[in-house]
Amino acid sequence: MAHVVSPLDQPSNYKDSQTRVDRQRQNDLLSSSTTLYIGNLSFYTTEEQIYELFTKCASPEDGGGIKRIIMGLDRNTRTPCGFCFVEYYTHTEALASMRYVSGTKLDERIIRCDLDLGYKEGRQFGRGKSGGQVRDEHRQDYDPGRGGWVEERYADAQDGPGAVAGGGGDWKEAESTGNDSRLKRGRSPEDEGDNTRLGQRSRIEDEVDAERM
Amino acid sequence: MSYDRSHRGGGNRRRHRDDYDDRRRDAYESPADKLKTAIIKFGDVDVEEELPRKHSHVISNLSEAFRIAVTEQPYKIPHYAALLRRLHDSDSTEETPPTTDDASLGKQILEDFWKGFQAYLDKLAWRETRLCIHFFAHLTVAKLISTDSMFGLLQSFTAVLEEFGVSHGRAKKAAVCAAEGLMIGGPILKASSSERVQEVINAIQSYNDTVTSPKWLIGPILKMYSDEGSTSNADELLDIVLQALRTLDKSDFAETASSFSQPYISYADPDLTAFTPYNLPSVLVPPEVVELDGLSTDSGEDAQVKKEEWPEYFLRLFDNDASSRVTPDPKTPAGYAVHSGLIDILDIFEVNRKECARLLIEYPKWTIPGTFKPKPGGTVVPEPVPGKDWQLESTVIENVLGAYFVLPESSHKSIYYIGLITELCKLSPSTVGPAVGKSIRKLYSTLGDGLDVEVARRFAEWFAVHMSNFGFQWVWKEWIPDLSLAVQHPKRAFMRRALEFEIRLSYHDRILKTLPEEMQAPEGHTISEQAPGPDFEYDDPAKPHHDAALAVLNLFRGRAKAEDVISHLDTLKVTLETSDDGGVVNADLLIRSIAIQSLLHIGSRSFSHLLNAIERYLPLLRNIASGGASSAGGGGNAEAKADILTASAAFWKHNRHMVAIVFDKLMQYQIVDPTDVVGWTFINRAEIRELSEATGPLSLSAFEWDLLKGALDKANGRVMIARRKVMALRKEEDDTRARVKASGGADGNAMDVDSEVKAEETPAVDSPALTTALKAFASLTREQKGALSRTLDGFVSCLAPGSSDSNPNPHSRVVISEQGWTDRAGWEKDEWNSWETWGWYRQFCRSYAPYLRNYSTTLYTVSFAKFDGSTDPAAELLKKTWNVSTGQE
Repeated sequence: MAHVVSPLDQPSNYKDSQTRVDRQRQNDLLSSSTTLYIGNLSFYTTEEQIYELFTKCASPEDGGGIKRIIMGLDRNTRTPCGFCFVEYYTHTEALASMRYVSGTKLDERIIRCDLDLGYKEGRQFGRGKSGGQVRDEHRQDYDPGRGGWVEERYADAQDGPGAVAGGGGDWKEAESTGNDSRLKRGRSPEDEGDNTRLGQRSRIEDEVDAERM
Repeated sequence: MSYDRSHRGGGNRRRHRDDYDDRRRDAYESPADKLKTAIIKFGDVDVEEELPRKHSHVISNLSEAFRIAVTEQPYKIPHYAALLRRLHDSDSTEETPPTTDDASLGKQILEDFWKGFQAYLDKLAWRETRLCIHFFAHLTVAKLISTDSMFGLLQSFTAVLEEFGVSHGRAKKAAVCAAEGLMIGGPILKASSSERVQEVINAIQSYNDTVTSPKWLIGPILKMYSDEGSTSNADELLDIVLQALRTLDKSDFAETASSFSQPYISYADPDLTAFTPYNLPSVLVPPEVVELDGLSTDSGEDAQVKKEEWPEYFLRLFDNDASSRVTPDPKTPAGYAVHSGLIDILDIFEVNRKECARLLIEYPKWTIPGTFKPKPGGTVVPEPVPGKDWQLESTVIENVLGAYFVLPESSHKSIYYIGLITELCKLSPSTVGPAVGKSIRKLYSTLGDGLDVEVARRFAEWFAVHMSNFGFQWVWKEWIPDLSLAVQHPKRAFMRRALEFEIRLSYHDRILKTLPEEMQAPEGHTISEQAPGPDFEYDDPAKPHHDAALAVLNLFRGRAKAEDVISHLDTLKVTLETSDDGGVVNADLLIRSIAIQSLLHIGSRSFSHLLNAIERYLPLLRNIASGGASSAGGGGNAEAKADILTASAAFWKHNRHMVAIVFDKLMQYQIVDPTDVVGWTFINRAEIRELSEATGPLSLSAFEWDLLKGALDKANGRVMIARRKVMALRKEEDDTRARVKASGGADGNAMDVDSEVKAEETPAVDSPALTTALKAFASLTREQKGALSRTLDGFVSCLAPGSSDSNPNPHSRVVISEQGWTDRAGWEKDEWNSWETWGWYRQFCRSYAPYLRNYSTTLYTVSFAKFDGSTDPAAELLKKTWNVSTGQE
């Protein structure tokens, strides 16, 4: 049922760049996936906050519910670094999150959801050179929810700890690899808030003046 | 015919496929694409042979485009009718009458469109069916379809209303199909036969007259003492349909023109000597498919679940002044048209809330000019139509909220409506924001005047998520005066609940700062004093058993094996029982409390820590749940399981969110059963004073309801999974048998006759997997029935307590009397608690009715037989609510 608009529960061009499975298999996995990747979280957002929001897409009467939440952690500090996986019991619940929650706010940040191939051990860690997410090394704005300014040391982080750690690489979020891929699909306007460079805008754009309400 | 062009020229991509993976490439091919390809590729193989096929191909693509257009963009239907009318005309530049006979393109498309309609009807795709009827009704007014066959179509739908034992869901949808068709086609239909118009209206009316008692239970404004369903600020779907129809009928459908667009109305009439209007073939609405899976519970009850069987009430927010209405009254023809138009958009575009919001805001474009107030600064300012000139944003929000508050449950998840309103606010903050604010104030004002408890709960949920999306900016100070109300007054309960939900999405400090001092103050009883943290009872060295608990905690911290912890606890128990000061009275209880609280303590850092702790110590938890008897699962010890729940709730007494999460996971890992949680919620919960608003006499608040709902949904969800498993295994076995049979038949020649006969005589034996699945299904339906029965029993003892019951609520009979309700200004905490408990009982009955119906006889006997012959008003109301829910009244 959707010939005149495209549903919001379609997989985007988000993917796990390190996956070893081929594209056909990936598509199959996604079409029955129960796992979501959640991005643009504040470093301070807790699992319980995530649980509260994502429970609203759960269908316990249908045998569903939140199976687990895996916080994305900085590889070096083992502290949250702004992403997580939410795993449901059913695929329908994951789709509901795509439709209803992706692009809304949690902890006053616009979060983004994507269907995921399924969590595997090791994927909970940031893949950036500093230990966190790659996107935080390319940010140019001040983002208090994600550690403030991008620190200088990121510039020559090749020499820093964790730079050569095995299984490095990165969660290729579209915006973080924009420089090396001219083939990548441009961000569509409705993806606003996913893009860190729009971070400033997204913080102001939905403020509704309470006095007017 | 599909030439997937995206596969070609993709060589470049393939080499880079790690960088580029557009999964949308297999997207739906639009009729336009198909049509274009069909024409361009025409003759590539054999032009002679392709020609006739190509013709029908072009027509079917065009009609498919019309079908998609009509069923997915209902707001454009009148214009599609005009377009199709043009396609009937010989000269499409002028509004000339259709002259050419059957050969016109339009006629061929219409005939093909009909096939699509028939397909929707065969699938009982009600919305698509209804929207096609809209289209046919417009085409009847545009004189392309004969009035006689249109009547025939409508009467196929009213015939459904007279089916024996028709379900309400089916009747409601059929009635609306007929009614809306008549509203649109009325002007020409009535001119052709006013009797047949009466027949349609009367059929709907007489059906609607039979559904009075469910209305009493399902309205969003509670009047428990009265039998009436209707209230001033809520409209029931069939009621408004009928009122709008009657109004239209009175004026011979003159108002249709001011309610529905008719862009084709000025077109010249066809020359009936040369043009025959299309006769819609007659149809029969197919019966509902009852999926007979033959699965029943061990006591032979049917285990099917059927929903959507209730009347549909829409809460109206803006109705105070009829002379200057800001939103349409859905009982009027024009108001109904707007209402149903908006609800259709809401349902169709559920897949994309952002597009949905845009379409709702653009809705005036599709209505008759003057329906809505023009946007400020617009270039064309239409003359406002008297009685219309409504406010778009208020109308949209009223309808979205109306759909959200439908009882017992909305058609989509709460979060859809909430997210949609967020998108609406983002699209046009300066106009939608105020409409949202007004709606919140209006809803708040009805709290305490009978707003249904479930509606109030959804209101709090919406409020919290909405505020979470808009910086938690609410002008709390305007509600300060309400702090003088009784602490359990619905308004105060709402404030507490909304703030609790806000904290769950944010954090305590953040939310505390949004409040004025009066509400921050502890004596305001509005927000918890501290951040909701854990409370390890044995933390304080001065507390008894601190050392014993610390030892257990250290075992957990050191990741001791579950068996080692079990034996440590056994030793500890002996020590406690034989201690110098005469021994602990209930050593079991104490051991359970220490073990559970210590385990939760190591799992208190996060949800994941909790899961890890539970998973690592499953053998220990099973051992405790079984009362220490054995660690082999199966039932467990009811007292031990209640103690586990009590210890968990005590540990998280300052954080009710965590209580719900821990209970859920304990059920998930089958440490406790849903029945245990239900029993605990009614009985043991009162032991932890901090946790509950509903202390004092037995009663339930929204928090307890959430626990009950969690348990019942878990029980029902398990039955659902078990059923699916059985079905899948059965199908697998049937397939295997069929394959064996087929291959046996092929090899038949080689087989000797005797063995073939023998093989056929062997009865089908279920595989071990299926046997196990069936056993699981049987035990899970038992558990489901147990949980439902326990809940019903719990409500009965809360609401109609016998004089001998412990801690009876003396108010349960007062709050349901008319006098009691009239005097509610003087109600204190206990009265409001009791009233809320009644509200949750109603929600339990109507929301779980699909499950309760299967067990209605047994459950009635168990819980209500004792009231036979009783004139206790509480018993009467309990029984009446039950009977209406289970379809016996």
